Amino acid sequence: MAMHTETIALRSSEGLRAGRLPRLIDLWVAAGAIAVSLIVFAGFGHVDYVGGWLVLGAILYLVAIGLLSAIVEGRRKATDRIVRGLVTVAFLLAIIPLVSTLWTVIANGITTLTPDFVFGAEQQHYDRETGETTITPGVGPAIVGTLIITGIAAVISIPIGLLTAVWLTEYALPANPVRRVVTFLVDVMTGIPSIVAGLFAFALFTLVKGPGAFSGFSAAIALCVLMIPTMVRSSEEMIKLVPLELREASYALGVTKWRTILKVVLRTSIAGLVTGAVLAIARVIGETAPIYIAAGYTRTQFNADPGEGAMSTLAVVSYRNYVDPDPTHPEVTQAEAWGAALLLIILVIVLNLIARFVAARFAPKARR
Amino acid sequence: MQITRIGALSAIVLAGGLALAGCASTPSTTPTDGSSPAPTSAASGLDAIDPTLSGTITAGGSSAQVAAQNGYSAAFKSVATGFTLNYNPEGSGGGRGHFIDGSYGFAGSDAPLSADEVTKAAATYPDGALDIPVYLDGVAVAYNNKDASTLNLSASTIAKIFSGAITDWSDPAIAADNGGTALPSKKITVVTRSDSSGTMQNFTNYLAGLAGSDWTAGANLGQLPSIPGMDLQKGGAAVATEIQAVDGAIGGVDHSALGDLVAASVDGVALTNDGIANAMATGFAIKPNATPGDLSGAFDYAKIHADTTAYPIPLLSYAIIPAKFKDASTKDLVVAYLTFIASADGQKAGSTAAKSVPLPDSILEQVNATLATVK
Amino acid sequence: MTATPAAAKPGRAPRNAGGPAGLRAQHASKAGDRVFLGLSSGAAWLILVILAGVAVFLIVKAAPAIAANWSDDAGLQDTTSGFTLGYENFWQYVGPLLFGTIWASFLALLMGAPVAIGIALFISHYAPRRLSGVLGYLVDLLAAVPSVVFGLWGIVVIRPFLGPLNEFLNTYLGWIPLFGGSVAQGGSTLLAGAIVLAVMILPIITSIGREIFLQTPSLHEEAALALGATKWEMIRLAVFPYARSGIISAVLLGLGRALGETMAVAMIVSPKLIVSFELLTNDNPATIASNIANKFGGANEMQADALIATGLCLFVVSFAVNFLARAIVGRSSRPGRLRRVKSPSAKAA
Repeated sequence: MAMHTETIALRSSEGLRAGRLPRLIDLWVAAGAIAVSLIVFAGFGHVDYVGGWLVLGAILYLVAIGLLSAIVEGRRKATDRIVRGLVTVAFLLAIIPLVSTLWTVIANGITTLTPDFVFGAEQQHYDRETGETTITPGVGPAIVGTLIITGIAAVISIPIGLLTAVWLTEYALPANPVRRVVTFLVDVMTGIPSIVAGLFAFALFTLVKGPGAFSGFSAAIALCVLMIPTMVRSSEEMIKLVPLELREASYALGVTKWRTILKVVLRTSIAGLVTGAVLAIARVIGETAPIYIAAGYTRTQFNADPGEGAMSTLAVVSYRNYVDPDPTHPEVTQAEAWGAALLLIILVIVLNLIARFVAARFAPKARR
Repeated sequence: MQITRIGALSAIVLAGGLALAGCASTPSTTPTDGSSPAPTSAASGLDAIDPTLSGTITAGGSSAQVAAQNGYSAAFKSVATGFTLNYNPEGSGGGRGHFIDGSYGFAGSDAPLSADEVTKAAATYPDGALDIPVYLDGVAVAYNNKDASTLNLSASTIAKIFSGAITDWSDPAIAADNGGTALPSKKITVVTRSDSSGTMQNFTNYLAGLAGSDWTAGANLGQLPSIPGMDLQKGGAAVATEIQAVDGAIGGVDHSALGDLVAASVDGVALTNDGIANAMATGFAIKPNATPGDLSGAFDYAKIHADTTAYPIPLLSYAIIPAKFKDASTKDLVVAYLTFIASADGQKAGSTAAKSVPLPDSILEQVNATLATVK
Repeated sequence: MTATPAAAKPGRAPRNAGGPAGLRAQHASKAGDRVFLGLSSGAAWLILVILAGVAVFLIVKAAPAIAANWSDDAGLQDTTSGFTLGYENFWQYVGPLLFGTIWASFLALLMGAPVAIGIALFISHYAPRRLSGVLGYLVDLLAAVPSVVFGLWGIVVIRPFLGPLNEFLNTYLGWIPLFGGSVAQGGSTLLAGAIVLAVMILPIITSIGREIFLQTPSLHEEAALALGATKWEMIRLAVFPYARSGIISAVLLGLGRALGETMAVAMIVSPKLIVSFELLTNDNPATIASNIANKFGGANEMQADALIATGLCLFVVSFAVNFLARAIVGRSSRPGRLRRVKSPSAKAA
């Protein structure tokens, strides 16, 4: 990794004697670009296609600011402005789907979030006179199932993934065959389809417990298979980023290796490690296929025992209600699907907040 | 004093004896001659459920049955409050697979066990498996075309549309089915499911049975063969939503998933509950099966076509149970549950919840007879 | 890079660390070292066993389907769920699926990775310092959205949104093979699926990328700025070389997510088993993961094995991409070596 030398020839139009665009030029050009774009779309008769004229506006802005800057300030500064524009556009591009997804889920799901829905189990009431079955949705058991299954998976995967990453970076020599195999397996397993992990867990438990071995623990094992490669990979990268100087300084002071790793290396990278862990959990908490393959499916039953019996999670409830709606009251099951999805997002947001708080608490103060 | 006491005692014994006798004549032992139209014994349906029955049945399979199973189990649970049914609508194939490996108390399946699966099931259940009809409905041909407020399609036209031979609404074949006037030109988009479904199995059985020359893909296909431009969606509800969204779309959907969609008349018969019931009565025949009590059968589409009141595309779904259960408590639960399903109360609960059609009494009697033989 | 003497034998306390108390401390710390080493290598072995177990299980289940002669096998030629009908062998079946998986993931990466890196850069270097935490959190929120919700969102928002764009591209740019064919009226196009996939992998690449960019030694950055580099030049010279390995890992993790994504793709895209580059039609190549999700419920035992075998092929793809990436990065994965920089004077000399 070489810092490649660049001979930057200073032309007279660059450097200290180059011209400078006025301060708020970015905003002016952006406004102009959007105006032009709107006019173009109005000409086509599609002013309502917001996405369209925003995209065209962004493109026009980048071209305009680039040209303008290249003429007035010089090529280097122009590139810099274009990159700044690109990066800002990229960020806005991320915010749009975020706001859109959150808005869709909240708008569709917020009305279902009554205490009965959140804490109660689903009630199916049969009226003998009319022969009608009324379903009162409730996801209490699903929330418990989500917490139990994801909790067990996290408790198993996070320490194991972290310790393995530590071993890979701090202890194992590059030529170590075990290291090669572990790296290979982790690489290969990052792409495992989730349904396959569910099949594995179910087969494992059938081998151990016999037929019909649906259980929360089985689903947790399936989730572990999904989480571990991500955990190992991301932790490895974060640990590698800790500068060698910190380790050397620690050893020079007489600190043992394990204390160095624990107190210096891991603490320095804690923010990144926590990010990796939260990413892994957020991914598996939304899985449906491995859960209903390994833990079966129940609509009404409250089951807090991970060792025995079917368990459902918020993601499974949401998916099932969407794909198999109740024919007599489709709006009820649809609302339940969105409500469960909203609860799931809230759960992960809370988890994220807790994790960030923990990271901030333990991180060294010198971090930017 | 003594006479009164003896009198009281004998009254109690008499009452007890009568009560026991009454309990003994529960509908599980309905007369098997099949002549009486409905069980006439004292307690049937909801009243025959033992309220102390409790436990969980783990089952799963066909997603077509899900709504009906909700109805059946809710009604059952209204009497036996300790009962729970965990029915996983994973698909008929998965359901049969779990049945074969012993995970499920019963499997819901739109098709009976195949010959291959019967052999595999014998490894877990040496006495064999029984296919029991529990759910009856019809396949609707739903369409979205503002130019056609009503539509009639014959079997061969449907076959041509779904095989890609007809691609435009203005085609003369469609006009011929509808009194001669051609519809305005519009592209036909065939919408169907991307996953396997019993709805399509019954649909293709019908097409192969009646329009064999136009439909060459075969019968009993869980999925329609791909044609260019075919729009595949995941799940029956998504198919219905897509048909609603796309102008010129047409697709086969379960009757209960129809919602606001318009269904075409097929071979001149509109989709009604009576039409489906007539189709079942006219056209369903139980095959000769290896395991005694196995009620799997097939529809004779020619016979159904001959009956002008019968809707041409019925759909029948089964519950698959072992002839001999491995443990008594599962057996008690499943048999009691299926017995309830096979009663008038049960059919009412299920068909109301699923907007499907109650099974005819002749079938229900045979179901009860089979259930009596389960060990 | 020169190894300093202190690093030559890390972990050993210096020998003359003060008398008996020091010796006791040495023994305790050696025990602690052994315990920790044991724990970490134990964890690595455990992972080896678990993942190897998964691999073995899959191979055992998949082998019959790969080895069988498909035309003769009753289970595979069963018409009921019919998706394996008509194929002569396994490779004929999995070929279009492999194409679909790679093509969809490639599109998602093409759209998602540059945007994600841009966002990570924005948060780490361009956004106002006080806001960067909040902004980072906002993007992390995208990771909180479960794939089912992305599927629902794709159906409800993205498909209708792309409608006018699909028509426009097909009408005016239809001569390009990508935009040809007959447009899907309902919008169940691969383009919609790829966009949703891109949104799904965004938070993974961004979060890790952001952390990595933040770890660039400020010394290097300030040195570049002091020499008169513009911000972009500074990033190019100081940040990217440092972050290369990490970014590639982040992108690979995102790719892994895209390859294995089941539900969202299954709900949004209308899948067929074909090889097609057209993005705007109903005839889209299916991905391996979504195909398994769609077909598994109706599959008999042999067909289920065939599906698992396709999953196994996914591993090969995953491995190949990762192998390629590690070769590109081409450095040892021990910490610290990243940071050593050949000074320009050394190079000129």
